[in-house]
Amino acid sequence: MIENYELELARLAMELAAKEGALKCRVSLTKSVSDIIGTLNGEIDKVTHCLDRGLALTLFVDGRFGTFSTNQLDEKSLSDFVSKAVKMTRILAEDTLRDLPDPARCCKSANDGDELGLYDPAYAEVSAEERRKLALDAAAFGKVPDTKDYKLISEEGEYSDSEFDAVTLDSNGLFCRHKETSFEYGVEVTVQATDGSKYSGFWWESSPSRSGLKLEQVGTTAICRAAAQIGTQPFASGRYKMVVDSNVASKLVSPVLSALGGYSLQQGNSFMTDTLGQRVFGEGVTLIDDCHIKGQSGSRLFDSEGVATVPGPVIENGVVKEYFINTYISKKMSMKPTVEDCSRAHLMPWPKPGLKQDDILNMCGEGILVTGFNGGNCNSATGDFSYGIEGFRFEGGKIVSPVSGMLITGNFRELWKNLIAAGDDARVCSAKLIPTIAFNNVDFNG
Amino acid sequence: MLSSLMLRDGEVSSGGYTVDYGCGVRVLHGEKTGYAYSESTDMPSLLAAARAASAIAAGSGNGGFAKTAFGPAKPNYYPMQRDWRGADAAEFLPGLNKLEALIRAKDSRVMKVIALLGYSVSDILMYNSLDELTSDLRPMASMSVQVVFQSKGSVQTKSASRSFRMGVEFFTDELIKEVAEEATSGIDAMFEAKRPAGGQMSVVMGAGASGILLHEAMGHAFEADFNRKGQSVFADKMGKQICRKGINILDDGTLPFFRGSCNYDDEGVPGQKTYMVTDGVLTSYLHDRISARFYGVAPTGNGRRESFRYHPIPRMRSTYMENGADGTVEDLIKMAGSGIYVDEFANGEVKIGEGDFTFYVKSGYLIENGRLTMPVKDINIIGNGPQALADIEAVAGDLKVDPGRWTCGKGQSAPVSCGIPSVLIKNLTVGGGQ
Repeated sequence: MIENYELELARLAMELAAKEGALKCRVSLTKSVSDIIGTLNGEIDKVTHCLDRGLALTLFVDGRFGTFSTNQLDEKSLSDFVSKAVKMTRILAEDTLRDLPDPARCCKSANDGDELGLYDPAYAEVSAEERRKLALDAAAFGKVPDTKDYKLISEEGEYSDSEFDAVTLDSNGLFCRHKETSFEYGVEVTVQATDGSKYSGFWWESSPSRSGLKLEQVGTTAICRAAAQIGTQPFASGRYKMVVDSNVASKLVSPVLSALGGYSLQQGNSFMTDTLGQRVFGEGVTLIDDCHIKGQSGSRLFDSEGVATVPGPVIENGVVKEYFINTYISKKMSMKPTVEDCSRAHLMPWPKPGLKQDDILNMCGEGILVTGFNGGNCNSATGDFSYGIEGFRFEGGKIVSPVSGMLITGNFRELWKNLIAAGDDARVCSAKLIPTIAFNNVDFNG
Repeated sequence: MLSSLMLRDGEVSSGGYTVDYGCGVRVLHGEKTGYAYSESTDMPSLLAAARAASAIAAGSGNGGFAKTAFGPAKPNYYPMQRDWRGADAAEFLPGLNKLEALIRAKDSRVMKVIALLGYSVSDILMYNSLDELTSDLRPMASMSVQVVFQSKGSVQTKSASRSFRMGVEFFTDELIKEVAEEATSGIDAMFEAKRPAGGQMSVVMGAGASGILLHEAMGHAFEADFNRKGQSVFADKMGKQICRKGINILDDGTLPFFRGSCNYDDEGVPGQKTYMVTDGVLTSYLHDRISARFYGVAPTGNGRRESFRYHPIPRMRSTYMENGADGTVEDLIKMAGSGIYVDEFANGEVKIGEGDFTFYVKSGYLIENGRLTMPVKDINIIGNGPQALADIEAVAGDLKVDPGRWTCGKGQSAPVSCGIPSVLIKNLTVGGGQ
């Protein structure tokens, strides 16, 4: 997709930077095309075509550092851009710890960009007419009968496909390429109950390959998720077992991964400070960076510095095994560099493989199954969190009634000490493989 | 072009800029939209974008759009005294260093300071098939700071920001002092703060940033696209009393220099002030040209977009409530008797169909016996939009539109402002312990 003349422009940017005095630099060139077909109530409502191309330039000039980007890639514009970028970098304060990564740590195996099998050549065969047909065929509006309990009043669907190509070069000789395609369909519905109240539901599927996208059940799943909430109300405040659906469970993992990031740690703004090598979570918590799985979203061979990613444990049996330390932070903190972040987090099953959501509900007996989050946040320094939730109360391992308008409140380090179970049912269409998870002693307010 | 300078660990040692140029073509076929864009404005690229966008119009046209009655020339709500594009970034470094020095001088517990100055100027030209040609030069300047404090092994963070559509004159000593003051105020309380017992309770929302309530609980649900599609909880409430008499809620694109202001929206409709709730009655949604045509009303200047990469949709601008006549914030706290007072927020969210909204409170106080007592922090509050509107029991006369860096997300980001006088709401659900 990136053509040779565009690669030459990337190389030209490096040469221009060197001529201007940037002894080291990195250039990332990205290009993407996407088409989006939106439907409203079973009819085409929106057609969007996107073509993007951009060049990002990281400069190291006289011990100073700057980052710049442009989408104007003709030679004249590029020359002006680089010249001004070098000039601006020179006005900044010196920071001699800024540097390119050690070439020995950099990826050398991403040459044609499709080593991980994330680029489907069938993308080129999808016609405009086929996109419209896929979007219309997937729509459930008018095909699924209303029931005595509700009617479907709105369905917004969106089919999209895209191709993405990125090349990263640096003045140490780095050349890395990553290509991928994506095929997605998402739908949001609103149903109205007999009392006039409205409930919304969402579902989506995505795949790097055209044949991997399963459209058939998306609309009906969204409708079922909306209708299941009819009659929802807050439940009595209390401390309950919490089971979190795999569809939304990554919400409780992302803050932990963020707290393991070098910038947060270096600024003292992380609730995971001084935990490397320490057991801080329950022994059931094992999270790996499963970043080299072929054909799976989120897999990648290198990070934005061009450093090779390495599959392996981030947290193992509750023990923190890895911080995400890039070249700069490693020098700032005198720590061994790793990669800048987790590519494809995978929470491993616990206490045994093969558990599905029903098994975990049975294991827990009674509590609240969380199927959606509504807002909330986490204090990155302390790990204190508070989130709005919706879902279902369950008893005897069976769902008994929907709940909404409730909040969960706690602290992430405490929460993950109380893991009861992690299932084996993560959605593979997500870049984070987080299955159904269950915790003890969670504060709910309603 | 967007430029930024960052101070970290005592030095302004990173910075950069982004050049973004392009043209979007929108084709409307009734209420349906075709959209494509090009990062080049040569004729072949523009024609290719136009052909892609016109794919929506399968067949003949489906009704026309009325030409907008623009009236007399509109004022410029954000004239720049000095354009950022002619400024040398070097002149801003001392200001960021001064900001850090002021912060460190104010509190010995300061461990880390990250300060960011960002500025951009967007030059936009719009032309449509009604032969309406408009242009807008939109500056945006933001300064934000995050401070990490450490005391006796405990760590707390505090943020402050200011953002206006202004030129270089934005970056003054006064502004730097103001941000330093805000970033270091209330730290003792933050170290003392605890999680309250959660549950349903009265909430007094302080003037200014509490406008997030209007943005999340009502503003989104008043955006006409959600109503046109029947999704909004307010879809059948036009002309009805939705809160007590005396309450006026508006969305305003004309506040001088505020983030949400627009000389013209991204459909070329002049910036204007729109009353959504007048004397407690829902009187207008927020319209782009598509929804205005659907409802048979004039567009309200709310057709906004993040950049040429997106087509305009109804978005808020500066959303606020006018002053009430129920006294001061102290009066409201007495009226509440017990509950919590909140005045600093991080983020919010809403479910349009159900009307359920939440916002995250960074700091506040418990209210006991009609006065503020224990500081609280890091709690989420949840409520239902129509119910919360109906549950507003008192509105003070201290309206403030918050000057912070608010950004709204609706599939694409847009700078907004929000404000409110202090209000007392009964029965919101507050997160906390048992």
